[in-house]
This record gives sequence, structure tokens and C-alpha cells, in this order.
Amino acid sequence: MDFSQVELTSDQLVFEKEIRELISENWTPNLSHIAVDHDRMPKPVRMEMAKRGWIHPDLAPDAGGAGLGEIELEVITNLFDEYYIPANVSSSLLIPTLEKFGSQWLKENVLPGIRTGELTTCLGYSEPDNGSDMAAATTRAVQDGDTWVINGQKMWTTWGNESDYVFLLTRTGAVEEKHRTLTMFLVPMNTPGVDATPVWILGGGRTNVTFYSDVTISDNYRIGPVNDGWSVMSEPLATEHGAGVVTEGVAPVNGSMGAGFSRVLQKLVDGAIQWAASRTMADGRSRLEDPLVRAALAEAMLDLEMCWNAEGELGKPMSAEALAKQADKLADMAAPEGLLDFGVDGSIAAGIIASERQHAPGTAVYGGTTEIYRNNLARRLGLPRPY
Amino acid sequence: MTLVLRRNDYTLTDEQDQLVDMLRSLFSEQSAIEVVRAAEPLGFDQNLWATVQNNGLLTISVPESAGGDGGGLVELALAGIEVGRTAAPVPLIDHVVTMRLLAALKGAGVALDALDWDAALSGDLIVSMAPISTWELGAQLVPSGAVAKAVVAFKDGSIILMTRETNAPQAQNEGCAPVAWWSPSDADVRTATLLDGDLAAGIWELAHREWRIATAASIVGLMAISSEIARSYALDRKAFGVTIAKFQAISHQLADIHMDVVTARNMTIKAAWLTENEPAFRPELAAMSMAHATRAALRSTAKAVHIHGGMGITNEADISLFYRKVSSWALVGGGIRRDLDDIGNAIDRRAQELAASALISSNR
Ligand SMILES: Cc1cc2nc3c(=O)[nH]c(=O)nc-3n(C[C@H](O)[C@H](O)[C@H](O)COP(=O)(O)OP(=O)(O)OC[C@H]3O[C@@H](n4cnc5c(N)ncnc54)[C@H](O)[C@@H]3O)c2cc1C
Repeated sequence: MDFSQVELTSDQLVFEKEIRELISENWTPNLSHIAVDHDRMPKPVRMEMAKRGWIHPDLAPDAGGAGLGEIELEVITNLFDEYYIPANVSSSLLIPTLEKFGSQWLKENVLPGIRTGELTTCLGYSEPDNGSDMAAATTRAVQDGDTWVINGQKMWTTWGNESDYVFLLTRTGAVEEKHRTLTMFLVPMNTPGVDATPVWILGGGRTNVTFYSDVTISDNYRIGPVNDGWSVMSEPLATEHGAGVVTEGVAPVNGSMGAGFSRVLQKLVDGAIQWAASRTMADGRSRLEDPLVRAALAEAMLDLEMCWNAEGELGKPMSAEALAKQADKLADMAAPEGLLDFGVDGSIAAGIIASERQHAPGTAVYGGTTEIYRNNLARRLGLPRPY
Repeated sequence: MTLVLRRNDYTLTDEQDQLVDMLRSLFSEQSAIEVVRAAEPLGFDQNLWATVQNNGLLTISVPESAGGDGGGLVELALAGIEVGRTAAPVPLIDHVVTMRLLAALKGAGVALDALDWDAALSGDLIVSMAPISTWELGAQLVPSGAVAKAVVAFKDGSIILMTRETNAPQAQNEGCAPVAWWSPSDADVRTATLLDGDLAAGIWELAHREWRIATAASIVGLMAISSEIARSYALDRKAFGVTIAKFQAISHQLADIHMDVVTARNMTIKAAWLTENEPAFRPELAAMSMAHATRAALRSTAKAVHIHGGMGITNEADISLFYRKVSSWALVGGGIRRDLDDIGNAIDRRAQELAASALISSNR
């Protein structure tokens, strides 16, 4: 057991300084942009990061990374958070899958760019008629000699409008056979017949519907055996649900998505504290001294500490639900200003409480709903499948 | 500006693992549910206490300088979890936390003439402390107050020691915890002032934190066992031709209970480690671990009862016993609102940090 402070080595301090400089040169924090866990950094910033191997910093330098250890990874994560840099850019979920199942051609021509981060990916699992039940996918891939022809529609292809490739779940047999007739592809988004149209979500974010009309690609883009897509896909899914690199006990125990949500919750708490500190009550005291405000803030801080103690897969549902609950409660605490949009006269904390109140319900859906997480947890507790 | 990173390592040492194993087998053998029931309404079993004494459990977390084995707050928290898992009817937590407080006073040069130290160290004399005295003067309910003959409290800026010749009568409560009213002005109570001034306030504050953490741990134990009981019941009980665990309305509640148990446990041992090793760092963690354990245990055991259907609310059901124990064990320290009040101190610290930070700011 150890919760002590890490003494950064002089190299690590230099590393931190370098990143701060790089960020300051390329980035102006937008304090009203709270959905940083969901959004993606602009291309120029990404390219600067990619040059240094900082998009997948844990990979070896000759594999496109920077060979960094857990502490340096935490430095990067924390600095991105501090400067409000949308960090959802990594393809770290996909890299091991491509290494294991990708065709030789993909490994030689595409994987290197994905590793550095110069090439980006998006996830094409969900469809209009099935999300949680991914094995019900209907987007069809039909083999025609050395090529495949893909037809269908995906829903919620986030970053589909600006990614180079989509990791696409397709049907290559009878739908009734569910997970036994699925095949995965890495489809270039600039292939004729691929189209992304925006879907705007609460809080101002964007995702997409993507259409695939007679999209014809070489067999080189197939990942893993035909009809074995379920096993190919399961691996990155488990990573998405779980925790990241832990070698020195520094990374939070909360899994990667939940940790992101918890950082957002910290920002809401901070915004709420600043609001309270800037207001006076009728008797002239600061609202920070108002017992009702203190009780609300204390409860939000308690929930935050709880989130940091939620291990692995528990982190996502607990943090998503705590975030949604506290965004609601803090908006109420700071009512009515708490609900004003950023930039409006009288809005508080750069509008983040109001905008996160809209964004937070999505955190309980994307990456798997809280119910699906509870199903998984129930299975791990040895309970029978519900159906 | 430099980042501050901290480790998040919750793993137990081999010795701690062994301690947990030893306590688990001892309590499961000696503190079966029949023993717990037989010890009601007082909530104290003299034989089990003797076993605890004879196995050296009372000195595990007492400093060596005061005659103990030098274990720390983490070990005490681990012991608390094991005590809670069987709702063991012994005041182990209150006694040891109080011994740690008394040892700190001893270390500060306080003469403890009013107390038979050896008897307290062995457990022949049970001691306890009055957490509520942090906020309130005068008569108050004291955990383990019906079995303790010496109680340490905080009054008017001083740490006081109250002693009695005979046990104070138990104040009946749903969990049959040996709670009793103690008051310095009670004719049966002799009061001695042990220490005053800043030093007293500091020692008391730390002891109160330790009490919260160790008590939170015992509540985690109550929750953990309730979770296991509810899970077994759900796997066993059938309705509509299937085990009720197949219904998501049931399995998702079991998942929720599990999340509460895990987070409450982790928060408690983290608070224990930090309070022991860096008491000045985030002192609110003690109140947080207590607040979360309390709210989580109250809701989790209510769910666990509900998962049992009608059987859950019978007196004979095991789960109803743990449901009752939770309220008495968790609320005797003053309840969640007081914990939140102390968490509030972290608000002021954060407000200062934010005032000094350039990045986070509001547009008004
Ligand atoms: C902002 C956003 C971004 C997203 N990004 C992506 C992306 O990049 N790529 C991608 O492929 N997908 C993405 N998704 C899709 C996301 O993964 C799905 O929305 C999610 O898996 C739920 O699927 P659904 O929306 O079809 O809801 P449904 O599956 O229809 O579920 C509806 C409701 O029923 C519940 N439910 C469903 N099945 C069960 C069950 N077995 N047990 C209990 N309850 C159940 C759900 O929990 C939910 O409350 C994104 C979604 C959002 C909102």
C-alpha cells in the first residue's frame, strides 16, 4: 500500500516543462469546453504531439511512441486535463488488435501511422437498430474475389467526419447466427461510398451517422478471419472498459473512461467553488460560508473521492452517474445562474456546469451503457445471464 | 508550476494478508451468528472478548512505546473490516482507537493516574471515546459506553478522562450496540482533565479521524457480508421457475451493492494509510470514508433486505441482523451531516488553491 507523493526525477521535471512549453505554443485553453473526455484535439496540435511520439507515448520510439513509463503517461494525462485539451485521439485500443490480427499489408502501410497518431481511427460498431446488442449488426460485407463490398449504416460514429479509418463491424453471414458471422475491417474513410452526416448532441457535441453504399475495398483491409470478428473486437472493447497501463501504482485505479469523467467532475466542483467565493450573502459573508452551499459542495467532493476509489470497470458507471448527478445538483446549488450558457451575461464558471448537465447523460451511454456494465459486473459476481 | 502525482497502490503486504486471514478464521469460528444473537441485547460477549484478548488482538495497533505491537491504522482498519464481517459483539475498534489516543497522550508526557494502564492494555478494563464530544458538551451517547469503564472525551478545549466503578446502563437501540449515556456531571462519573491547549486539540482531532476510519472499516465489513448473503440468497431463491438472480432488477442491485462495498473499502484503507503516514495531507479523507461507508451501508443493506422479499424483514433472517447493526454502528458517531461539515474544510483549501491558479476561472 502506498499513496505517497511521487518525487519526479530531474528528467521527468524537464519532460513536464517541455510539454507545458509545447502546449503553450500550440494551444489556448478554452475554459468553457468541458466535454474534453469526448472530444478530439485539433489536427495541428495532434501533429505536433505525433512528431514526439506523445499520442501513444507508452509505445517504443521505433514503434511510433516515446517509450514512456507510467509516470510520464500520468504527466501527459494530467497536463492535457489542466489545459483543457480534448484527449480522445488515441487508437490505443486498436493497436494491439492490428498487431495481432491485421493483414501484412495493414501492418506495413497503416499501422505505423496509427501508432504515431498521424493517422486517426473511429469506431463503427453501433447501428440505428442495435447499440448494446452489437452482435445484431446488419451492415453487410460481401466478398467478391479479392475485394469486399460493404453496404449499410452505422450510428454514433464519433469522429467519423475527421478520421482516416473506421474500425468497422460487419455481417458476413446469416444475421440469426449473431456473433458467429461477424467480420472486422479497417475501412479508409475516403473510400467512395462512405459518407458521414452530423448528429448534434446535448451540450453541443457532434457525432455522426455514417453510410456505406457499395463501398469496395481490398481484402487487405480485413482484420482477422472471416466470421471471427467477435473475438477480434472483444479485445479492444475490454480495454475500453478497463484500466490502462499500471506498472508503478501511480495511475488511478479507476478505468480509463471513468478517470476522464472524474476529472470533469473535479472541474465542475472547482467552478462551483469559484462561483461561491465570488458571491456575497445579504449579511455580507461569502457564499462559501453558506451552510447549504457547503453541504452541496462537500457532497460533490465526496462523490469525486468515491469515483477515484472505484476500481477498473466499476469506474465507468460510478463516475458517469456521479458526474450526471452532481452536474444536476451543482446547477441547482448555483441556481439560477448555474443554468446560463457560456458568454451570457451572468453565466458562471465559464458555463461548464450548465453544459456538463447536458453532456453528462451521454457518459452513461457511450462506451457501453451503465446497464451493460452492470450486466458484466453481475456475470463477474457469478450471477446467471438474464436472457 | 509543477504537477503533484501520488501513488494509488492499494495492495496489502504479506503480513497484512496474513493478519486478514487470521482474523477472518478467528471471527468466523468464534463469532458465528448464533453468538452474535445470544449477545443481544447488550451486544457484548465476554467469551469472545477473552478470545480477542488472548489472541493479542488488542495490542496489534498500539505503539510499541506504549506496550503494544506497533501496528498501524491500516492494520486496525483491516481488523475493523473483519470485525464487521461477523458483527462481532466486542468493542475492539473503540477500545484500540482509544488506546492509541491514550498512547499519544502518554507520549506527550501526560500522566494517566486515573487509569490502570496494564488493565486497559490487556483489555480487562475496556476503554472508549466519545466522538460526539468533538461538537457537543455534556451528556452524550458513547459507543461501547455500556461496557467501558473509562471514556476519553473532548470538552472546552481539553481532553478529559471519565471513569466509573460500575457500567453505565445501555441505551437500547435497534442494532443492540452497547451504547450508553455518559456525562461528566453524572454523580457516578469521575472526571480528570488530561491535557489542554493546541496540543490537546491536535491529538483529539487525529484520534477522532482514526475513530471515523476504523469505524468506517467495521461498517465496510457489515456491508461486505450483507452483499455475500444477498448474493447467495438470490442464487438460491426461485420465482417464476428461475433463480431470482436472473432478474436484472435483482442482479443490478447486487452489482450496485458490490460497487458500494469496493469503493467504501478502498476509501477507508486509503484514508487509513494517509492519516497514518501523512496526517496533514487531506485531513477530510477520514470524514469522507465515514460518510461514504455510512451512506453506502445504509442503502446497501436496505437493498440486501429487499432482495430477500418478505423473509428479509423477519427477525430470524441473517440479513435483518446486519441491517440493524449498520444503523447503530454507523450513526453513533453523529451521522453523515457532521461528516459533510468536516469535509467542508477541504472547500476552503481548494478555494485558496483556485484563487492562486491562472487556468481555472469563471467569466464573472
Ligand atoms: C455521444 C455518443 C458517442 C458514441 N460514439 C460511438 C462510437 O464512436 N462508435 C460506436 O460504435 N458507438 C458509439 N456510440 C454508441 C453507444 O455505444 C450506444 O449508444 C450504446 O452502446 C447504447 O446503444 P443504443 O444507443 O442503441 O441503446 P440501446 O441498446 O437501444 O439501449 C436502450 C436502453 O436499453 C438498455 N438496454 C439495452 N440492452 C440492455 C440489456 N441487455 N440489459 C439491460 N438494459 C439494456 C440500455 O442500457 C439503454 O438504457 C456513441 C453514443 C453516444 C451517445
